Amino acid sequence: MRNQFARRLIVSLVCAVLLAGCWLAFAERTEAAEPGPGKTIVMGTSPDYPPYESVDAAGGGEIVGLDIDIAKHIADKLGYKLQIAGSDFDGLIAALQSRRVDFVMSGMSATEERRKSVDFSDIYYNARNTIVSLEKFSYASLDELKGKRIGVQLGSTQESVVADMKDTQITKLSKIPDLMQSLKADRIDAAIVEDAVAAGYVGTNADLHFEMIPAEVGGEGYAIAFPKGSPLTAEFNGVLRDMKSDGTLQAIIDKWFGTEKDAEPSAATSGLNFKRLEPYAGYLLRGTYVTLLFTFVSALFGFVWGAILSLFKISNVAPLRWFSTVYTSVFRGTPLLLQLLLIYYAVPQLFGYTIPALLAAGLAFGLNSAAYLSETIRGGILAVDKGQREAALALGIPYRTMMASIILPQAIKNILPALVNECVALLKESSLVSVIAVADLLFRASVIRANTFLAFEPLIAAGAIYYVLVLILTSLARLLERRMRRSD
Amino acid sequence: MINVEALTKTYGKLEVLKGISTTVEQGEVVAIIGPSGSGKSTFLRCLNLLEVPTGGRIVIDGVELTDPKTDITRIRQRIGMVFQHFHLFPHMTVMDNLTFALMRVKGLSKEEARAKGYMLLERVGLKDKADVYPSKLSGGQKQRVAIARSLAMDPEIMLFDEPTSALDPEMVKEVLAVIRDLASTGMTMLIVTHEMKFAREAADTIYFLDGGLLVEKAEPERFFARPQSERAARFLEQVL
Repeated sequence: MRNQFARRLIVSLVCAVLLAGCWLAFAERTEAAEPGPGKTIVMGTSPDYPPYESVDAAGGGEIVGLDIDIAKHIADKLGYKLQIAGSDFDGLIAALQSRRVDFVMSGMSATEERRKSVDFSDIYYNARNTIVSLEKFSYASLDELKGKRIGVQLGSTQESVVADMKDTQITKLSKIPDLMQSLKADRIDAAIVEDAVAAGYVGTNADLHFEMIPAEVGGEGYAIAFPKGSPLTAEFNGVLRDMKSDGTLQAIIDKWFGTEKDAEPSAATSGLNFKRLEPYAGYLLRGTYVTLLFTFVSALFGFVWGAILSLFKISNVAPLRWFSTVYTSVFRGTPLLLQLLLIYYAVPQLFGYTIPALLAAGLAFGLNSAAYLSETIRGGILAVDKGQREAALALGIPYRTMMASIILPQAIKNILPALVNECVALLKESSLVSVIAVADLLFRASVIRANTFLAFEPLIAAGAIYYVLVLILTSLARLLERRMRRSD
Repeated sequence: MINVEALTKTYGKLEVLKGISTTVEQGEVVAIIGPSGSGKSTFLRCLNLLEVPTGGRIVIDGVELTDPKTDITRIRQRIGMVFQHFHLFPHMTVMDNLTFALMRVKGLSKEEARAKGYMLLERVGLKDKADVYPSKLSGGQKQRVAIARSLAMDPEIMLFDEPTSALDPEMVKEVLAVIRDLASTGMTMLIVTHEMKFAREAADTIYFLDGGLLVEKAEPERFFARPQSERAARFLEQVL
């Protein structure tokens, strides 16, 4: 028994350390505070849009780009500390509204539609839209695209460029690399993207071609977005005016458009090119750590909560039974992605607590997984011989001790294969968290796709890592099972 | 010691116990016999509330079991129970089976509990099996461990629910020897059994149950020689 105690102590210590680790990981992303001199302001950006913003994955994993340089300059002038929070582009406005970030700079055009929800600064850059298509077609104007299939980035201004076009079939994807890949795979005939992006892809893909669209269409420029009524808007505009007049702004733009770092000659248009992933190995591995940590936290939480729910289900107290039944029905009956988005965006609005992304994700996955596990564990408990319960009761062992030390250990042994299945599912489903900008494995793979203009290689590398993780997990489970079966 | 008044138990429409009243004295060894379905096991299981009585009263040492205010867990710690199918905890070694409740319920230290465990294993002749898992034991050995597990809690009363019915014939003897040994120590015991010879030799009193009623209650010699009721006589005719 001493052994068991020691084991339990070690397990709880390990848990404590890991939880502390998570806490630190969460704490890295501090909340958006009320702005004021010397304070930290948080900038939201979607770092998959070089040269405006991208992750310097080969370097330290920091977000860099034209927008970041401008933001740094402004923050400097105003005496703020700048913090940058990466997120999916279509989540940026929501992040502003829920005050997760103080402002957004992400190559975002100041459209009328967006002005309804946020305030914009003066325009700092006028991008132009282009038509990208295969070299052999080389579409040059929107008129030529009549009746064709056109792709745009979801939530981007290009959506409105194509909105009025008749007889066309519009495909909206959230990632630029996917648009480019769709072009090559003949799923779309043309993609409407901005000039810098088009130049980047055409530079690395010899079979692509781009044409500028005349400027009168979709003429909005890029501006900085703020929450409605933010005092920052005026402060930022002041600095922007200075930057325009003293040439700082132009210098920054020239810096990012002058040097095309990633535009290697496109020798490798066919075949896979893993060599180019090498500098990103460390970046990808840190994503593996995030994925593992996240899976561990949500599995642990899901298991503990699931076990409690399963006890509710077999309890004599009717309200507890009802609660757990309704809980299971709701969490199993709605998509996990929806639960994740709700928790991430609704908690700040309802409770005034800016829940960190990793915590929100761990919570959503844990809550969801608990719904499934509670049924599995309940089945496991019911499968334990009734005599075990009677023997424990006859010895005068209290209910809780009986459940924890007599019934559950036997139940868990019975359901171990199902538990392993759940863990494997969690590990793979964890890739959903990239929608709320947790930089997990798959998220980082997409960042690398955006940076390198490589379509498949980062995905294959991430897939291989997932597979290895699952292999390790299943062999650990086999060891555990053998250990539990030694009493047979 | 144990006072039972008008005990009834029904499952839906099925009346299993139809009003049993009796008194068991301190140190008395009672053998409960009767045809299957007569309510023997149900009667026994009511005595530690594994079955909740439908009506009547059970009073043990002045404490009324059926009173909702009674802390049944504490009462159960004073009543040991041995089952037909042993119900050892399969995920624990023999020693852990014996010491678990001692440490977690009675709060003994590991050393104290193990010392007691060894003493009891010696008593049932299984000292060398302390560290094996139940799956490695024979039926007779399992039942002896189960008895030792109950005894570890120092019960004042022991309930045996057909302790030898699931055993191969050659193992019945070793288990009965342990129970007989226990009876000689002055422990209050109630034993549901089909072993008539054992009942006759070891018991102070025979309860004959039939159809949910305590039909006859007598000393073994008298019961087996001159059963008072016709039903008991017919039963003895069939089994002897």
